[in-house]
Amino acid sequence: MAKVESPQVTRTTTRSYSASNDAIESTKPIEPYKPTLNDLGFRQQPLSFEDLLSCLPGRRTQVLELLRLLGPLNSPMFPILIYGGPSTGKTSVILQVFRHLNRPFVYSSCVTCYSPRILFESILNQLLFHRKNSGNSYSSIKRCEKPSDFVNYLREALESVIKNLKGNSGKLSSKVSGQPNGTMIYLVFDHLERVRKWDKSSTILPFLFNLFDILKMPEVGLIFISNTSPDTYYFNMGYVEPIPLCFPDYTEDDLRQIFMANQTNRKLYSSFLDVVLRPFCRVTRRVDELSAVFSSLFKKYSQPLSDMGVAPNEDMKRRLFSHLQPHIASALNETFLSPSWPLLKDEANRETKKKGSSRMSRIHEDFDKIDFHMSTSAKYLLISAFLASRNPATLDASLFDSTGVSDSRKRKRKPSEKSLEQKEMTELELLMKGPGTFPLERLLAIFQCITSLAEDSLDEEESHELTIEGGSSGLMSDVLLQLSSLCNANFIIKGGSCPLEGSTRYRTAVSEDLALKVARSLKFPLSKYLYRR
Amino acid sequence: MGREKEKENPSQKALNLLRTRLSNPNFVFKPLSDSPDSNYSKLKFIISSSITEACNNSILLLGPRGSGKVAVLELVLSDLLQQYPEAISVIRLNGLLHGDDNCALKEIARQLCMEHQLLFSKVASFDDNSQFLIAMLRECGLAHKTIIFVLDEFDLFAQAKQRLLYSLLDAMQSVTSQAVVIGVSCRLDVDQLLEKRVRSRFSHRKLLFLPPSKEDTERFLEHILSLPKDSSLPHSYTVEFNGRLKNVLADERFKELINTYLSFNSTIGQLMRFLFQAVSYMDLDVGFLSLENFKTALSSTQRQPKSECIKDCSILELYLLVCMKRLEVKEQNSYNFNSVMTEYKSIHDFQTSDNYAGNVCLRAFEHLLQRELISFTDNRGHNQSVEFRPVKLLISPAELYQGLKSYRSCPAILLKLIAR
Repeated sequence: MAKVESPQVTRTTTRSYSASNDAIESTKPIEPYKPTLNDLGFRQQPLSFEDLLSCLPGRRTQVLELLRLLGPLNSPMFPILIYGGPSTGKTSVILQVFRHLNRPFVYSSCVTCYSPRILFESILNQLLFHRKNSGNSYSSIKRCEKPSDFVNYLREALESVIKNLKGNSGKLSSKVSGQPNGTMIYLVFDHLERVRKWDKSSTILPFLFNLFDILKMPEVGLIFISNTSPDTYYFNMGYVEPIPLCFPDYTEDDLRQIFMANQTNRKLYSSFLDVVLRPFCRVTRRVDELSAVFSSLFKKYSQPLSDMGVAPNEDMKRRLFSHLQPHIASALNETFLSPSWPLLKDEANRETKKKGSSRMSRIHEDFDKIDFHMSTSAKYLLISAFLASRNPATLDASLFDSTGVSDSRKRKRKPSEKSLEQKEMTELELLMKGPGTFPLERLLAIFQCITSLAEDSLDEEESHELTIEGGSSGLMSDVLLQLSSLCNANFIIKGGSCPLEGSTRYRTAVSEDLALKVARSLKFPLSKYLYRR
Repeated sequence: MGREKEKENPSQKALNLLRTRLSNPNFVFKPLSDSPDSNYSKLKFIISSSITEACNNSILLLGPRGSGKVAVLELVLSDLLQQYPEAISVIRLNGLLHGDDNCALKEIARQLCMEHQLLFSKVASFDDNSQFLIAMLRECGLAHKTIIFVLDEFDLFAQAKQRLLYSLLDAMQSVTSQAVVIGVSCRLDVDQLLEKRVRSRFSHRKLLFLPPSKEDTERFLEHILSLPKDSSLPHSYTVEFNGRLKNVLADERFKELINTYLSFNSTIGQLMRFLFQAVSYMDLDVGFLSLENFKTALSSTQRQPKSECIKDCSILELYLLVCMKRLEVKEQNSYNFNSVMTEYKSIHDFQTSDNYAGNVCLRAFEHLLQRELISFTDNRGHNQSVEFRPVKLLISPAELYQGLKSYRSCPAILLKLIAR
């Protein structure tokens, strides 16, 4: 008999399930962790004020203002709205400030709590010291869907917590570390901008903003964190505006401070930043995007160095810079910076070859390959979808006649001025309207033509690639599966159904560059089939 | 050591005291309710007369958000509860929470049960609850006990079908009951929202809560910010604090400041928020309020979020914004990312710096969407990918121009392009 065990050692480790098919182990099930009042505070060692400021570089004014608005111990406050762009440190600042102040708080994020019910239940679980585990089959302590129920339960829970806190603060003799200070409790709502996209946002958002007035409990402080500015929250229903606190994006000096922290070789990294920080800041100033770029670029920068701990002098700096320079230009034009495994393997192979000439061509080569894996039939399907979206349906017959590729093209005449104008207009239309829709039958028809063509051409050449399992009859079931996976990967968008015919229509969502890359990997002459007006 | 050092210096205690006062609406509105023709007295008279004469009544409290309607009501109710301890029971409903009729009746039943120590069943249906309500009204009427219904956000009860309002008002008229219905709303025309049958059962008594006059405001400011003489703070400190406060309040610049703030945020509630911010900025080492605190608070309420967003943009994002503005100037009414890219490439015909690839520009475009500087014009759009959906600018050209001028190290070409 198999017994499923779920040991929970501490709060922060992940749970691991172990099923044993052998004899039942006679171990006592470990008691699941029961949270207590101390869990409402930050469990780690509290920070001193200087540590707080030093671990949040560039945020000194905001930290000071936040401390002022939160006020001294046991002082009531109005709700605060903290807003700023993404990855500007809002959540970190709040959490570290609460660690410094060691006051109890309840944190809930509207990303993980994606509906009102989950949000309400998460807050209640934290206040009532309930953790979901297998013992209570992962249910919340109270089922709460409506705001009215939430207010009632919240009031009870808050009153019991505040009573506990008051009882604790009365005993001044116990200097147990880890016990939070004060008799106030703070509710932190993170990622508030997500709530605007919810179904019930027209009632939930005013409810959250008016929660302070509804509760009428001075021991509760509300803090909202949002990625968008307060003027995006105006709607029909009025509310009392929370006090805004703005977190502007980091300036270049702040970014330099942030990246220099935790670096082992500061002089080397500082010379690296001198080179890359300014050009990259012209593109984006977000810390998460920059850190991804800088980590890979720094590896390239320090490649020629044999000793990583050396402090570079002027001459070395110049040499390192000239080594890095071509990589900077290509990195500026990339967005996705975690290379996939085939590309990494290629790079490793290439490094063993002779370095030197045509560095630029090597970089261009990377652009020609697609850096994810697709099966061959999926690639053909993608190309057919692209062609179906791009070309008007009336051309199919002439492009894909039964004998294969049609080489005939219209005779080119010298274009008159009116037709040039028309060409511009139609190009503009193409830009605006986007790719057209097509029904499933057309896609399959094009797919059949292309793959039969490919089979013919493969019979002529020697190919060591495994291609389509022979015969078109074996393809149909695979094709429909491939189509649904392409839809899930957002290469093909499934649109609404045409009202006349009633069948669903599809639309391609790939750019021409990607389609060309895919075609090139299959050695398929895509450009011959593209309709150019 | 987990505990904060509790400095018992007087400035911290004073700060605590002022903050507690400012966030407590009951304290704030008490001095404003002292005069005999204030809303407080009128409301108290109406409710107490309806209690003593054992009749039904209904009244609306109207006024902008933060003018103290619920605060005054709570003051009146607490006074009356002291005066007639056994004769009143209060049911509080809120339109935001109980806008749905089922929910509202359940809440009424729950509060009635709690008040009279009855068992409340969560699975009672709408009909059960409404019958319970009518029965309670009758019983309380026979026992000469008045039930006061406070309906906050009354305009939300007047959406949809108004079943609750009708059943409540109808019950009041048909059954021998003593009930007072008090509606509180920010919409001054809320009685126009009522259905005919509800409006006919509603007495058209309204109390308007208007912002106080200038002299009242000045007196009020002094009252609320002065430290009380009989608190646990040292006497000399209190005297000096109040003296300095008087000087600040009499200063011409302060009066100008307050007038600026009140000209666009005229209610008392918003003034409290402003004072709260100013008091929070008080320097604890100095220990006294100064004009600077108020100035800082005023500047933090005068933020321009869109210009701040522009300052946060990177240079590539500014390029995209300028391209979109140029497209608008060229009277292209609807444009999408691809047309913006063609414009962007056409700008770069004569120079090569800042010319980035399509995917980098798409990422910058998505950043702009996140910041809400641009947005999609249609809502349906999950049918198309991001590059083809039409977008529009959410900032005006003047704001964009201002933002570019005040941008640190803005490329000269952008200024030139936008000035044309």
